[in-house]
Amino acid sequence: MNPILVLGAGPAGLSAAAEIAELGAPTILVEREAYLGGNPKRWHYSLLAPDLRPSDEILGPLIAKVEGNPRVELHRSTTVTKAERLPKGFRVTLKTGDALETQEVSAVVLATGFDHFDSRRKFEYGYGRYPDVLDFKELEGMIHDDRVLRPSDGKPPRRIAWILCVGSRDLQVGNPWCCRMGCAVSIKQAVEIRQKHPEIDAYVYYMDIRTYGLWEDLYWKSMQEYGVKFIRGRIGQVTIAEGGSQLLATGEDTILRRPTEVPFDMIVLASGMEPGTGTQEAAALFGVPVGPEGFLTPNLSDMNPVDSGLPGVFLAGAATGPKAIPDSVTEGMGAALRAYQYARN
Amino acid sequence: MTIVAHLPQRALTLTEEESAAPPAMELTGRRRASPEERALSETIFREFHADPRYHEFVLGCLNCGECTTGCPAARFYDFSPREMLQIAETGDATTLWDALQEKIWACCQCYTCNMRCRFGNDIAGIISVMRELSVSHGVASTRKTLAPFGRSLTLLMTVGTQVSSDMIQPDFFRDWGPFATGSDRAWGVGADIMRRAIPSDVLQTTRSSWEVSVQTSLELFRIYEETGVLDMLRGLDPDLTEMLIDIIEERREEFEEARERFRTELEGMRGPVATFRG
Repeated sequence: MNPILVLGAGPAGLSAAAEIAELGAPTILVEREAYLGGNPKRWHYSLLAPDLRPSDEILGPLIAKVEGNPRVELHRSTTVTKAERLPKGFRVTLKTGDALETQEVSAVVLATGFDHFDSRRKFEYGYGRYPDVLDFKELEGMIHDDRVLRPSDGKPPRRIAWILCVGSRDLQVGNPWCCRMGCAVSIKQAVEIRQKHPEIDAYVYYMDIRTYGLWEDLYWKSMQEYGVKFIRGRIGQVTIAEGGSQLLATGEDTILRRPTEVPFDMIVLASGMEPGTGTQEAAALFGVPVGPEGFLTPNLSDMNPVDSGLPGVFLAGAATGPKAIPDSVTEGMGAALRAYQYARN
Repeated sequence: MTIVAHLPQRALTLTEEESAAPPAMELTGRRRASPEERALSETIFREFHADPRYHEFVLGCLNCGECTTGCPAARFYDFSPREMLQIAETGDATTLWDALQEKIWACCQCYTCNMRCRFGNDIAGIISVMRELSVSHGVASTRKTLAPFGRSLTLLMTVGTQVSSDMIQPDFFRDWGPFATGSDRAWGVGADIMRRAIPSDVLQTTRSSWEVSVQTSLELFRIYEETGVLDMLRGLDPDLTEMLIDIIEERREEFEEARERFRTELEGMRGPVATFRG
């Protein structure tokens, strides 16, 4: 049997590669970056919602399963530049630096993931202009290293605001979908900060709180046990407050029905999920149809969420839409099974 | 992927059944309206929802409040574009009726809310539809609200602008007028210096550029007549409407006379003129 190719080494890809190897088939795992672990690793995610376990505790074992596994051939800093369809599977060209290598594979799992929305595109929030306006992926790294300080002056903040749905549910930037994890991750960040630094006030500005399913517990506890404040309404613009050291958030409190202007030391933007660069490239390479949002489209999203509908091409993780890590890991397992079944027959 | 691909596509015409649909609900705890007021409010409600623009302007609302953030009126009045959109979507005729009494006139039609809206609603547009309805139905409070604007309205209807050069008096622009001193630093230099920097021949054109020709006035008035603006105004203020018609009639006669004079002069010079259109 020719090996099965897994594209992308985030939670979904790692999970798929580990399971294919477990089934006894040879695996090629290709990752564009020099490290394994995808977005969670790239941005040094701290604790993961909803169980508040450190991301390393979850990614570590996944990475250990593929690293040093004799059935997994790892290609870091590598991309696929060409894919030719064979009677069974593909002939793919792998590019590492300037070196090209051709491999015949019996099936492909696309686990190419998402990119965080570039918050500069919502220019009214001043991200990239005001140093104390952060993207929440950057705050993850700060919390991870326990260094939550204002980038402008290195001082600890007294008041932090989270703005949800930045680049999600927004036709102005052409992204009308929900990122599914922005609420949970922002609330989790507020809880983490309030746990370690109860003197910091945490405010979350929201339209709807979508801590779906059992994650709702996190939302309730954040208020009940950690005193996180929720204000219903969006911030429409961020400017510098009088005096120059604080940020001024202007918005409407839609429950009190009045415009508000509130100073904050730090403002955190919950940036949405967009189809990753790798996902767009994979769609073109393997001819997988994409939806209006740009994510890969499963053939039957309800019955066969990991099948692309094309022979030998399987999908897993956030490449098919915003997804939390547990769901990505599950899909990696499903795609591994489907790819193995296809390759074996 | 384009934004347009995401915009909802809806039919712009309503079925007869839809346009005849009565208010769908009634909120409790309201003051009791008189039967006449109630009848009028329900008529307005029906017309509002049957207006083809309604379905083009009102798409849905996440209640995010970003429209209110940029709204200049919201900073001064008990007014928010978000609330106006909620009112536009309500099935309760009394809620719409109450908004027509005062709130709709707080909007300054700057369209900032539209630029902010992440749902693609035309909020300022739907407010102007509400205004049209309250004007065309001659809602009593609207008559009262618009009463002080008779002069502006007269100018708008007869010459198409509400400011003319004769209105610009030094007293109205103290930073430019005789009271201005070198310490006025609105433009980085004193207003007196700025004033002296204006070439006198430019001052000449500021006067002529405000002049509106009789043809323009007549054409403008014809537009008002044919688009129903005049009928709308008649519902609100019949006296003012008659006065406007008189003014325009006078202008029209003036114009006809001038045209006749011109024709006679032209004929005297080179015989009958075959076609002439003003």
